[in-house]
Amino acid sequence: MRKVIYAVLLGLFGAGIVHIAVLLLVPDFSERDAWSRLAMASDLYRMTRFDAEAGGPPVVKSVDPLFFAATCRFDLNDGMVQVTAPGQVPFWSVSIYARNGHNIYSFNDRSATGGKLDTVVLTPAQMIEVRKQLPEDYAGSIFVESPIGEGIVVVRAFVPDASWKPTVDRFLNGATCDPETLED
Amino acid sequence: MLKNALLTLLTVAIAVGLGGGSVWYALHAQSGVGAIRIGPWTAFPDIGTPNADPYSQARIAREGVLALGRAEGLAFVAESDSAGRKLRRECAYTIAGEFPTARFWTLYAADQSLDVIATGKARPAALHSYELLRQTDNSASISVSSRPAPGNWLLVNGTGTLYFVLTFYDTPIANSTGLSDVTLPGIVKGRCDA
Repeated sequence: MRKVIYAVLLGLFGAGIVHIAVLLLVPDFSERDAWSRLAMASDLYRMTRFDAEAGGPPVVKSVDPLFFAATCRFDLNDGMVQVTAPGQVPFWSVSIYARNGHNIYSFNDRSATGGKLDTVVLTPAQMIEVRKQLPEDYAGSIFVESPIGEGIVVVRAFVPDASWKPTVDRFLNGATCDPETLED
Repeated sequence: MLKNALLTLLTVAIAVGLGGGSVWYALHAQSGVGAIRIGPWTAFPDIGTPNADPYSQARIAREGVLALGRAEGLAFVAESDSAGRKLRRECAYTIAGEFPTARFWTLYAADQSLDVIATGKARPAALHSYELLRQTDNSASISVSSRPAPGNWLLVNGTGTLYFVLTFYDTPIANSTGLSDVTLPGIVKGRCDA
């Protein structure tokens, strides 16, 4: 009998260890995280809609039903990435995520010059290069400096009612996500 | 010998079963570590940030969520009314009170997986603050029902569990320091369809 109690206590102790181990390993081994789901849906540097209107089941966990959203994956080892979208919508916001789905930086239309979406994501090393000689394309851009390699950028736009859908569709479908390299 | 093997098996079974099961349970509970509760509403302000706790990190990895950033907004989820009863789709509710400062907010009715419920009608089960009728003291009252209601009406029909998701966009309360003195509207249960 004492042996059984001993085995149960040891099992409970082991359960604690397994709990902690599983918890810490889940993020590393998950094949259902946002990056993996997006990788199945589209290539790097391809703006992909992931709201309900885009057709098909949403790739990533759905957003607010009153929002449309588009996303693209990038790799800063290939160079900087510039994200732009044309036109004006009632509200837009941009989030930069690291590969593991952590939100590194976010901003909205109030942060941008004239409410225009134009942002460049780069590493600190690339920022030093850009500072030496600011290319004209980047004059109005918001620079997001982050020490990540692979990442995800998400553009969200508010759709107050059905009459705004064409405008917001144009905004997101016209969004670009381009890798940029500085020529020497 | 056989007895020892059985005891070892018991130990391992308890360790793996309880350890794995408790993680699974912790990741499915709506309230959890890192949650902030205000009345019936729950929010995870740290979710998706690098300083989130391990439970939040595991949750976003499993669910593939791309959480809202601090400059975007903060989402609150309610799974029960102000009296603590679980929300049901066949019941009518009144959501009334003051809403905290934000550029705008949206409110939608969701199912178990927090996707907006399909009403089967042209009207979505979602409202936002730009289309809201307010009282003279700037508070608002929203009727949640399967039948049309005067004032602000959120259409909810069908049966089953119901969640309300209230998301504030471009709001100072997304910074955790602003969350201490926030008041959110209450949820009062009305009649239910049998």
